[in-house]
Amino acid sequence: MNFVFQKWKINCLVALLLAIIVCDIHSQSGSSIDVKMIKTSDLELIVEEAKGSALFINVWATWCAPCREEFPELVKLSEEYKSEMKFIGISADEVEDIDEKVIPFLEKQNAQFQNYLIKVSDPEDFINALNKDWSGALPATFIYNKAGTQVKMLIGKQSYEQFEQAIKKVIN
Amino acid sequence: MRLMKFIQLFTFIAVYFFSVTACANQPSNEKVDNFTLPDYNGSEHSLSDYRDSEAIVIMFIATECPVSNAYNSRMESIYSEYSKKGVAFVGINSNKAESVERIKEHAEENGLTFTILKDDNNVVADEMDASVTPEVYVVNSEFEILYHGRIDNSRDQEDVTSEDLEIALNEILEGKPVSNSSTKAFGCTIKRVQ
Repeated sequence: MNFVFQKWKINCLVALLLAIIVCDIHSQSGSSIDVKMIKTSDLELIVEEAKGSALFINVWATWCAPCREEFPELVKLSEEYKSEMKFIGISADEVEDIDEKVIPFLEKQNAQFQNYLIKVSDPEDFINALNKDWSGALPATFIYNKAGTQVKMLIGKQSYEQFEQAIKKVIN
Repeated sequence: MRLMKFIQLFTFIAVYFFSVTACANQPSNEKVDNFTLPDYNGSEHSLSDYRDSEAIVIMFIATECPVSNAYNSRMESIYSEYSKKGVAFVGINSNKAESVERIKEHAEENGLTFTILKDDNNVVADEMDASVTPEVYVVNSEFEILYHGRIDNSRDQEDVTSEDLEIALNEILEGKPVSNSSTKAFGCTIKRVQ
């Protein structure tokens, strides 16, 4: 009887270990990273839904070297300020690059904020919808206050300190 | 009396709409200053050298930007077609990290035969407020900006539905106002000196 109980305990332990390993592999494969397609009209909804909280939108692409370089800073800031600000990443990559380039990059960065990919036939309206003074140069970051008003546009690669300075202005 | 008032009102509305339409089709009157920059062989070129052209196309380009590189063959093809029609083309590289040697090598690798100038310290990019590659300005002999923006509306040539630069050049060559004089697309930030 005691032997049977011991065997049962060992089986349970093995099953638990297997479950942990499987879960770990599953999470490493990036199943937690979800990239939704958006069109220009969705932008308004994103800003509307974030009202009540400050909002940080970063537009980037895997083909953009300075975007990739500044991304780890975004991820750090999104963890540090997640209780005070909503972080959103919008990729300007081609739709066909989502599985092979965009998601693997986001997984590697462990970007746990909401991620989107622009699906439009012409980018001009999308660019103007974010800011009429924006040329479309990447990376670009747009910071909104709690009322949903865009208060800052940052073009080009930013440092952690530059991002943080802009964030502090809207959360304080 | 009523008829007179009606005529006055009609005339006012007609003049207003005529003026608005006419203004929309004129050059923006924004001008580019003359500049002098060296090409990758060290020869100096001034914008004023091209004053006799039908129009001057100024293209801010890069050697390492995938978007700019996606347009290499399109830029060369547009240059080839429109230079025969009297349009001058000047490429400008303002990226701080892209050397003259690399620009020359890149032009040879990609078969770019139009003039490419090196804008050290991004002086011309600053003056023209250029921020992205590729970014195009088309100016007339008075250096007035007739068109500013993208080459077309898709990095992927197969998905292009609006060849904006070519449309603008065709309209200019036909003596017509440019119907869409300002456009935008995603591109790489011009990396400037701090």
